[in-house]
Amino acid sequence: VGLFGNSKRDEALREQVLEQLKTVQDPDLHRDLVSLGFIKDLTVKGGKVAFTVELTTPACPAKEQLQQECEAAVKALDGVSRVEITMSSQSLAGAATRVANEVDQPALARVERIIAIASGKGGVGKSTTTVNLAYALSQSGAKVGILDADIYGPSIPQMTGAGKPTHMDENDHIIPPQVDDIKIISAEMFAQQNQAQMFRGPMVAQIVRQLLTQVAWGELDYLLIDYPPGTGDIQLTLSQVAPITGAVAITTPQEVALLDVRKAIQMFQTMNVPLLGVIETMSYFVCDSCEKQHELFPRGGGGRLAEEFGVPLLAEVPLDPRLAQSADAGTVLVKTEPDALGAKALRQASERMVREQAKVHAQTEGAMTHFRLEWQ
Amino acid sequence: MAVMEGPLMSGSVQEIVEVKKIWQQDERTLGIQWTDGKESLYDVVELRRQCPCALCVDETSRERKFKPEDIPQSVRPTVIESVGRYAMSIQFSDGHRTGIYSFRLLRELG
Repeated sequence: VGLFGNSKRDEALREQVLEQLKTVQDPDLHRDLVSLGFIKDLTVKGGKVAFTVELTTPACPAKEQLQQECEAAVKALDGVSRVEITMSSQSLAGAATRVANEVDQPALARVERIIAIASGKGGVGKSTTTVNLAYALSQSGAKVGILDADIYGPSIPQMTGAGKPTHMDENDHIIPPQVDDIKIISAEMFAQQNQAQMFRGPMVAQIVRQLLTQVAWGELDYLLIDYPPGTGDIQLTLSQVAPITGAVAITTPQEVALLDVRKAIQMFQTMNVPLLGVIETMSYFVCDSCEKQHELFPRGGGGRLAEEFGVPLLAEVPLDPRLAQSADAGTVLVKTEPDALGAKALRQASERMVREQAKVHAQTEGAMTHFRLEWQ
Repeated sequence: MAVMEGPLMSGSVQEIVEVKKIWQQDERTLGIQWTDGKESLYDVVELRRQCPCALCVDETSRERKFKPEDIPQSVRPTVIESVGRYAMSIQFSDGHRTGIYSFRLLRELG
């Protein structure tokens, strides 16, 4: 058995040590030491464990606490006879280095993914799509929120029957009303009844910022943002204030709509927001008396757009009169008629979007979403 | 196929590069480690000279509105902060604070 057996045991123990160290969190970065890459030079030999904890700054106030936690965590393992921990800090080229910390945006701190639902022009069914995607995600067990950022023509409250927020939390953040466990905030909730929304640019930026950061979003797996059509102030502010995880482009099959949506996609590219895919709406029409798919527009525009940008076509959603009817009635098709063609297509879109998001996420593993560095 | 640098997304590949770590290397050097593993070091005086904002670069001619030597060697950042997930803003000790440096630009510079 000899050497071979020992090294196998050591190998297994090494894995266990790493698992244990994953339970130790940096109190500032709110992530475990292993995923932060702070554990260096880990060696395991016949039950003796040695490693270095490399902190971001030598002045780390939690240094001793972290050392004790690491030691306790590793000692708790069977088969560990001794633990040697060296505490160090990153010092590249011997210079005093200072690393930026992730800054919390309290309102968004526990929002895992923020997805922009965007279109080039209005009237393509973007809000209807957003609401149905939210319900599909929620049905699959995710915690979901919707931010209706279409300041000039907010329609999500009507589509979902969401009321107005009535309470603030202890941080003076607005508690969003919920419909079927989905948290919903819309600019419309803060407007006078039946009054047209007229705002100048800087005000719009301010309102959008508040909708993002002054709302008690709490714990969410997905926050869907219904972007207003086009590429203006609102869209820019949204992408600057929130770390948008990905964008979904909504388009009808016609070329004219595609020209506009291309501009919207290019805006996301400029902002480094990955495009998760394209959803084509009004792809065809199925009437109630025959099974034939009637094409209202030349087919396939969404597919061509997806191909052009190298992303999947998430779904071709038919023009389903029930989609519009349910939206008007404040109900959601994915919920009320899950077997309707429109609902099926939107559920498929949501499943593909989730998969695509996971793929893109793997690429930017370990990225800091917010940071702030003060120069010394 | 040509190697794509920077946070570009075109053709059939989406290449997203973000900041994994950012630190002050020394008195006038900024360090960034990117999510693809690359490390870049920047001279902060040079960053001030490369400021892409509309006060520094003419919006139509794209020409820089000052000469490199107009920026003193003594200029330093005061605060560097993330902007969305595509850029960072740098406030400088000369009072200039409108520059938004996209990761794309930073990858070109470093």
